[in-house]
Amino acid sequence: MTTGGMVTELDKGDILGPVEYTLSPFVVREYCHAVELGHDCFQGNIGDLVMPSTLIHLDKLRLYTHACPGGTGPTARIHFEFDAELFAPIRVGDNLVVKGEITDRYLKKGRDYVVLVMELRKAETSGLLIRYTDHVILAYSEA
Amino acid sequence: MNQFNPKPGSLFSLAPRLMTRERMRRYVDAQPTIAVDDGRIHTQEPTIHDDDEYARSQGFPGIIADGMISTNWILGLLVDLFGSAAAMNSRLSTKYVKPIYEDISVITCAKILTVHQNPEGEKIITLDVWCEDNSGIKLTVGSATICIDAT
Repeated sequence: MTTGGMVTELDKGDILGPVEYTLSPFVVREYCHAVELGHDCFQGNIGDLVMPSTLIHLDKLRLYTHACPGGTGPTARIHFEFDAELFAPIRVGDNLVVKGEITDRYLKKGRDYVVLVMELRKAETSGLLIRYTDHVILAYSEA
Repeated sequence: MNQFNPKPGSLFSLAPRLMTRERMRRYVDAQPTIAVDDGRIHTQEPTIHDDDEYARSQGFPGIIADGMISTNWILGLLVDLFGSAAAMNSRLSTKYVKPIYEDISVITCAKILTVHQNPEGEKIITLDVWCEDNSGIKLTVGSATICIDAT
């Protein structure tokens, strides 16, 4: 178990979270503003707002903050791969629970890769809303 | 109701966008701002996306874009095409195959591969998605699946 330290120390089998939160309109609109998603379903009236599946990427940071109080570590993390499957609309006001597991850590061409699989569920029903797989490189070097 | 009638082989793209320093910084600032969620802006420690010196210390020639910016531009194109269905029942996978440096022109593209109806009557559309620079070099590659409700 390598949680409790830095992100660069995470290893296969580590469990991150669960962390519970309520999706706010500010979070949806602010994120979508930052990435130029100007559609009504992301920037419109509160009752129409849904969470873009890409926002799960910031739940990764939520889990890192929770599991790794020591911060990023000595090297910058490079996001390499994003894979999100969205099963149902996620609306403002929904109570959510996010949890993650480090499913792999391996060396390739001198680079350290970490795979994190996350699930976002409705707090009340445990219904699965998003399954997300995230690949990062822990320290970049020219391949 | 989205009247768009997708056909395999159809190719779509957005107008080129420069990956400016401001676009990169906006995503950096969004992260702590969203984490705190109090309606005010918050900032974080220097990152490879907004601090040249720190980026150089990590092996880059200068700041590079967070891959999520290009992933979100692809999502934006999918919502343009398929409406909110792309934000409700879908899959999006992207891989960042080239770093996107400051002021590179980025063109967001999608090509429809297949369209079929499942037993529940939903229309399932699969696509290749990518971002390329203005010489056609792919920077981000991936795939998407959109499920459009029969109703």
